[in-house]
Amino acid sequence: MKKFITLFLTLVMVTALFAGCSKKTVEDHVSEVPSENFNEEGLPIVDEEITLKIFSMKSPPNGAYEDMLVFKEYEKMTNINIEWEDVPQDSFTERKNLMFASGKLPDAFYKSSITPLEAVKYGSTGILIPLEDLIEDYAPNLTALFNESPEIKSAITAPDGHIYALPAIIELNAARTSKFWINHKWLENLGLDEPTTPDELVEVLRAFKNDDPNGNGKQDEIPMTQRNFGSVISSFSGSWGLISQLGNNISIENDKVSFWTISDRYKEYLQFLNKLYSEGLLDRDVFTQTEADFVGKMASGNVGIFHNQASDPFAKQKENYVGIAPLKGPHGDQLHPAGPVARDFGTFAISSSNKYPYQTIRWIDHFFSDEGSIFMRYGIEGETFYYNDNGLPEHNDEILNDERGSGVAIGQFTPWPGGGSPQYLTERNASAINPPEVQAAQEALDPYLPDQIYGAPIFDEKTSKEVDRIRQDMDTYFEESSAKFITGGLSFDKWDDYVATIKSMGLERLIEIYQEAYDLNYKK
Amino acid sequence: MSNSAPEYQEVTTKVAYKPVSKRKRALKRITMRLDLYLMLLLPISWYLIFQYGPMYGLQIAFKDFHPAFGFLGSEWVGFENFERFFSSYYFGRLLWNTLSISLYSLLIAFPIPIFLALLINEIQSTKMKKWIQNVTYMPHFISVVVIVGMLSLFLNPTGGFVNVLLNTLGLESIAFLEKPEWFKAIFIGSNIWQNMGWQSIIYIAALAGIDPQLYEAAKIDGASRLQRVIHVSLPGIFPVIIILLILDVGHFMNVGFEKILLMQNSLNMESSDVIQTFIYRNGILNGDFSYSTAIGLFNSVINFVLLILINRYARKKAETSLW
Repeated sequence: MKKFITLFLTLVMVTALFAGCSKKTVEDHVSEVPSENFNEEGLPIVDEEITLKIFSMKSPPNGAYEDMLVFKEYEKMTNINIEWEDVPQDSFTERKNLMFASGKLPDAFYKSSITPLEAVKYGSTGILIPLEDLIEDYAPNLTALFNESPEIKSAITAPDGHIYALPAIIELNAARTSKFWINHKWLENLGLDEPTTPDELVEVLRAFKNDDPNGNGKQDEIPMTQRNFGSVISSFSGSWGLISQLGNNISIENDKVSFWTISDRYKEYLQFLNKLYSEGLLDRDVFTQTEADFVGKMASGNVGIFHNQASDPFAKQKENYVGIAPLKGPHGDQLHPAGPVARDFGTFAISSSNKYPYQTIRWIDHFFSDEGSIFMRYGIEGETFYYNDNGLPEHNDEILNDERGSGVAIGQFTPWPGGGSPQYLTERNASAINPPEVQAAQEALDPYLPDQIYGAPIFDEKTSKEVDRIRQDMDTYFEESSAKFITGGLSFDKWDDYVATIKSMGLERLIEIYQEAYDLNYKK
Repeated sequence: MSNSAPEYQEVTTKVAYKPVSKRKRALKRITMRLDLYLMLLLPISWYLIFQYGPMYGLQIAFKDFHPAFGFLGSEWVGFENFERFFSSYYFGRLLWNTLSISLYSLLIAFPIPIFLALLINEIQSTKMKKWIQNVTYMPHFISVVVIVGMLSLFLNPTGGFVNVLLNTLGLESIAFLEKPEWFKAIFIGSNIWQNMGWQSIIYIAALAGIDPQLYEAAKIDGASRLQRVIHVSLPGIFPVIIILLILDVGHFMNVGFEKILLMQNSLNMESSDVIQTFIYRNGILNGDFSYSTAIGLFNSVINFVLLILINRYARKKAETSLW
């Protein structure tokens, strides 16, 4: 018996020891002074080589990070060697969560889609370190951008006043919208005009479906498709005045927050989509297809209408498509949804196990400069890009004409294709996603963009959890029911039940929380 | 060990070494067969490390787990995670989907391999027997991802061969994978197709173990073929059936998670969302580890209770049981 007691006590002590250790990391702070091996300005960042372990997402177009030309070159420039852990996008969220849970942290998270909830949850407990002081002292480029547009800084600052993760800063409008592409060749073949109202859209789609616009004698055309549920909803919601604010299905009128998911406008909009679906004008696979299916359909050129940010997926068909203005809805609304300037939240964060936070912030800051952003977007002059006659960078022809598509070719030497990278995007450094046809499509949308797009607010941890709990059920229900209303699986007689259910899931509380966040962050 | 010396002596004088000799005998047995016991050490340590060890983490079902504080440091919240699950809007639906998929599988998919085994056993030509066996168990080796890919190809409303067949028969195309009412049938049906051959192997083996004299005796007594199957073959493999049934019931609440997840979309969620996919969504994708541990624990407790019940029932009624 004595032996057992001793054994038990030992076990307890050992576990207590472990617990003590795990507590310690929380209180661990960044040393006040950077180590000797650090240059505050200029390159290299360190004189003696150091190594950082960075966790990152590998999107479908990306090659292996360790082979990327941009990072190889940057390693030479900075003397900072990076050990990449690049996880494919499909299993990325899983790996990220397990990594946080296991406590075996990398030095930094790159292109890791850290959500506001994660930033607050792991930031307030010290797993991610606060960046604002580091930025102020050693990140001149970010500081300059924050000074230029203070709303970026306020959008990424947590309620406790700290910044735990960096955004992508997108000044180029074209990178914040999904263009309204229509097959102009089909319009010409059938002698039709561009649709300007929902009714005209229906007419055009019917003609696309029935009148054999591709002239092969078969009814094989897809009149309209979209990427997934979310893009079906956002495609024409602006024509009913429904624009998503605060990163949710929220309208803001006279400083008052409301959810349009239960509005009569939304019901009307769903009825319109239901009409498209039931007549076979909206692709039947739209709720079940994968990203690859959608890209394949765009590339095939056999689709009449779809929404997509740029033209690279259908580069070979681009002559046939033009981007047009949003439809003017039955109530006179003519808006088009757009993302906020701080488009991708959580593109970069530094963990508490990082021994070189000063070096790391300087490492990332470079990519937010003019020079660094061109380096990141285009690679090395002479090797992967050149400056054209207008003095703008342009990828080499063999990259743009690569058989795998330009996105994949670019994704071999830099991480940005696929989205979510820490980057700074302006008209000057984005020709790859902003070719003439995309610029024209954007110009068609420009007059109809909302005056102000508010990004998703960052809540404190307690509120975040509450929001998350309400949204887990509500978002599922909203998506499922909307999809059923559209496909006819749910009749519009049930609309009142739907509204009542959404309300019963805690809508009022959710409005209250968002109203508070809006008042705090944005109300003037 | 706490026995004091005088007591010990008393015992030795009165009862003549009995407790000691028992312990000694056991020890002697172990030292004699030391090699065998050493071999046992490996599986036991496997169980301790990989099966019992992780149970330590179960405590987070009753905590608000935060990685920064670890298992021990996280705050106790009692049954909050369970209450949250039970009061969730989707609780009823999750439970119903899980139970019904499992129940239908048990009712439909469980007996089929038995029939198949009896059928194969009755085939006279060995060649034919081997051929059928091969054909039926081949699909077992196809990975789940491929199976689901095949399903979505075959059942595609435009151009999938099932719908082409329906069209030529003058029927309308059905978007099978988008209809909640079709989900369970497709899921269970494809499971049967994939696994019946594999699962029948164990029954075929059991059938091979039945004494041929029994068949001969039945034949002499004038039993027809069907009667021989019912009165000789079936009772012969009955214990195996019971054991497999108990094992199946033991993971009643664990329906084929990967396959369901792959077949799921926002249109068929109504009948495809099961407890395990819910756990995956909330725990792994959303990082809500405490909540999903609580749901997982709930799942396991039901499995455990069902296992105990069916085992007890089988022991009483069929005189076959796991323990």
